[in-house]
Amino acid sequence: MFGPHTAFIVPSYLATAAVILILVVWTMIEHKAQRTEIARLEKSGIKRRSDKSDTNRHG
Amino acid sequence: MSETIIKQNTSIWDYANPTRFLGIADRIIPWLGGATILCIGLGLYLGFSAPEDYQQGSTVLIMFIHVPASWVAMMSYSVMTMSAIGTLVWRHPLADISLRAAAPIGAAFTFLGLLTGALWGKPMWGTYWVWDARLTSFLVLLIIYLGIIALAKAIEEPTTAARSLAIITLVGSINIPIIKFSVDWWNTLHQPASVSRLAKPAMDAVFLYPLLTMAVGFSLFFFTVHLMKMRNEILKRRIRTMKMTAARQAERG
Repeated sequence: MFGPHTAFIVPSYLATAAVILILVVWTMIEHKAQRTEIARLEKSGIKRRSDKSDTNRHG
Repeated sequence: MSETIIKQNTSIWDYANPTRFLGIADRIIPWLGGATILCIGLGLYLGFSAPEDYQQGSTVLIMFIHVPASWVAMMSYSVMTMSAIGTLVWRHPLADISLRAAAPIGAAFTFLGLLTGALWGKPMWGTYWVWDARLTSFLVLLIIYLGIIALAKAIEEPTTAARSLAIITLVGSINIPIIKFSVDWWNTLHQPASVSRLAKPAMDAVFLYPLLTMAVGFSLFFFTVHLMKMRNEILKRRIRTMKMTAARQAERG
């Protein structure tokens, strides 16, 4: 496709595409997991220190 | 009244508040991501429609990813160095978050720089690897990145880790000028700079434009993923605090 050097060009582009995709997908999965975890913790009644909406504050 | 006072005192530092940062990041990330896709798309189009180089033939296509990946690998380390100064001088938690978020991206691009360099070296130089100053110092960069990532994972308490990470990052930053000037200081198989020179670039516009477009695209990609990872790191610390609060409350009964 790209002459005699196709065997070097194609792997270069494939590896770059793979690394870029892995970075994005990994970061998105991580983000989703953390949002789910925060929602779960909040549902079980745990609030952050700075959350002013909490009416049952300790201390 | 109090609201107007707060508004008047709004400074650039307010954007460094983690909660406000999250809001801004949520809004910016889709636009930055879109710009990245457009830019890399345009770069690929320009690159693949460029003619073959008279010496390098079609392998000039590898340049369009090898050079931007290597630039981003070094830019990422520069971002980490500035973050390290932010941690040590201002002790700002976002500086540490920025340092941690950039490390895996930098490591990934350093790996890509080395890999595409090897795949370019074989057809052009006749070898995948030589221990010349540029290649070796770039390999050292990858090792430094991996060391920083390992250290970040080794210390559980983030505030304790921040200082150590900042110091080790600053020590490692000596390698960045060594990489940059290695091609001038030593006799390397790797060619000297052909774009960032005081004189005009030693490259025709037909190759220079796709290269620069790809470089902007890769940089935009870095900043998009960097913001995404910073957001993740903030959420991770939030979860940690919530769990610790829960544990304390459970202890009190």
